[in-house]
Amino acid sequence: MNRGWISRSTLLTLGLVLIVAFGLLMTGCGSKPDVETEPETEAEDQGQVEEIPPTIQGEETDTIEDTMPDYASMDPSEYGVEDVYFAFDQYDLDNEAMGILSRNARALREANVLVLVSGHCDERGTIEYNLALGEKRAKAVRDYLVSLGVPARNLRVTSYGESKPFARGHTEDAWAMNRRAHFERP
Amino acid sequence: MKRISCIAGLLLILVLAPSTAVAQRNQEVVIEHTTSAYVKTDILIKMFDVLSGGMPAVGTADVLEDVVIQDLEFSGLFRTGRSESQADSLQYEFTIEGTVEGPLRDAEQTGEDSPTTVSLNLLSWPERQLVLNKRYRPLPSQVRTTAHHFANQVIEWLTGESGICMTRVVFSRGTGDRRDLYAVDYDGEGLLRLTANRTLNLCPSWSPDGSEIVFTSYREGQQGLYSLETASGNVRQVIAQEGLNLGADWHPSGEELVLSLSRGDNPEIFRISPTGDIIKRLTVSKAIEISPSWAPSGRDLVFTSDRTGTPQLYIIDGDGAGRRRLTFEGRYNDSAMWSPRGDQIVYATRQGNTTQIVLMKTSGENRRVLTDGQWGNSEDPCWAPDGRHIVFSSDRTGVFKLYVYDVLEDSYRQLTFGDDPDITPAWSR
Repeated sequence: MNRGWISRSTLLTLGLVLIVAFGLLMTGCGSKPDVETEPETEAEDQGQVEEIPPTIQGEETDTIEDTMPDYASMDPSEYGVEDVYFAFDQYDLDNEAMGILSRNARALREANVLVLVSGHCDERGTIEYNLALGEKRAKAVRDYLVSLGVPARNLRVTSYGESKPFARGHTEDAWAMNRRAHFERP
Repeated sequence: MKRISCIAGLLLILVLAPSTAVAQRNQEVVIEHTTSAYVKTDILIKMFDVLSGGMPAVGTADVLEDVVIQDLEFSGLFRTGRSESQADSLQYEFTIEGTVEGPLRDAEQTGEDSPTTVSLNLLSWPERQLVLNKRYRPLPSQVRTTAHHFANQVIEWLTGESGICMTRVVFSRGTGDRRDLYAVDYDGEGLLRLTANRTLNLCPSWSPDGSEIVFTSYREGQQGLYSLETASGNVRQVIAQEGLNLGADWHPSGEELVLSLSRGDNPEIFRISPTGDIIKRLTVSKAIEISPSWAPSGRDLVFTSDRTGTPQLYIIDGDGAGRRRLTFEGRYNDSAMWSPRGDQIVYATRQGNTTQIVLMKTSGENRRVLTDGQWGNSEDPCWAPDGRHIVFSSDRTGVFKLYVYDVLEDSYRQLTFGDDPDITPAWSR
């Protein structure tokens, strides 16, 4: 045996040990992603069950549009807008008219579409003056609605005078029905 | 003895002299013939001679006679007779004779429209001296127009003024907001539909030369003023400001229009060009100002304003100055039209629950209500160019129809018929 030299077999053994140790070390690094972290959360939830909110009553449907009415294609009377009426030869709004218009204003603000306000008169009087009076009625309604927050650009005004009555007949009742401001799709 | 015979002789001469003068006048063609509106001229219309053309030519002759007679009667200036034996009740001063030669034989066989030769003559009576001779070659569709043309010539020769036999009335017919423009001959024949746009068309007005009719229409959704070219039927937009574009009236020159525009505010009177450019604004107020009508002078106009609370008539000049109120009677006066003769205005007034037609001098005097309760509602009066006849709309039968009224005779005739209401008539010039 040589005195100062490490023997070859000792070197080999040392090298092998180093390699194996190094290999173990590497494998240890590589296997880290496989360690599950979720078990920690699951462990916390074990005590509570989430409450699922009850369903509301209604028909099952798969159309998204139904949640929002197509105001532009509807007649204003379908979404709660009502006509207002006037006294003979008058174009000012009485208390009842103003009440109706307040409710109309809410519906019109919600709908946010262009609506035509037309003024009408009963058959008495001349064609031309009734066209002018009808315009005044429609304008009075438009101005009041604008003052209640309906955008002016959503209201167009026109007049038919006595030429497009709602009620036929020559009685006070028929005349009263025809003295109005009417809302319609333009 | 001698003195008596002298006196007798003198008396004889005095008695005879006037008849001699009359005899002399009758020998010359009557140059001076004064017709006063209240004194009618008696005229004999004999059966026209048919020289050839068989039954169709006879039919043509019948139509010519009937229409000439009707035109002369409608004018209010004549009493017509068809035979000489009526000469005891009618003092004929003139007679009308005519000849009709039918179309050529081959046209009869092929059935093609071919002109007939017509000769119509006005002669003095009983001397039968020729006063007027007119020759025509009408197609079958033009026979009535031929008769109208000749009647106009007779009226013009005798009165110095144009007749209205070739005029027409345009009006709005329909219900609700589906009303179109129609035109009818002044005698009620020849109904034509002028628009068909399924909307509200009303308040037409003829241009003085008859080439255009302006009217208010909702044909593009909102109200605008449009012009129809009568020869072609083409329609163009004149002006469509926001709000009312209403009640246009042509200036007598034919070069501009006056109408009511609200332009987003309250209606005012504006003068505009036929292409829709604003020339001048005539009124400024918070009131409704509508229904303007030019005087035939073209300097002043009458219009309606409700500045006192209810509609009344006012007169103003073309610059918007000189405004004076015209109506003080009745709470509601509108729809005025100035007579082509310049001296009167016709308008509509509300009495109780009905509307009636009123005639008044431009001075405000001689207010005369022409219609009464039995007329139902009478509205939209419009003068004929002769300043003697008025067309208006009345619902006396339950539905609005047009009637022609003779102001001097206080007589009327129904112009339009049928079930749909007829409103806002306008007479051509």
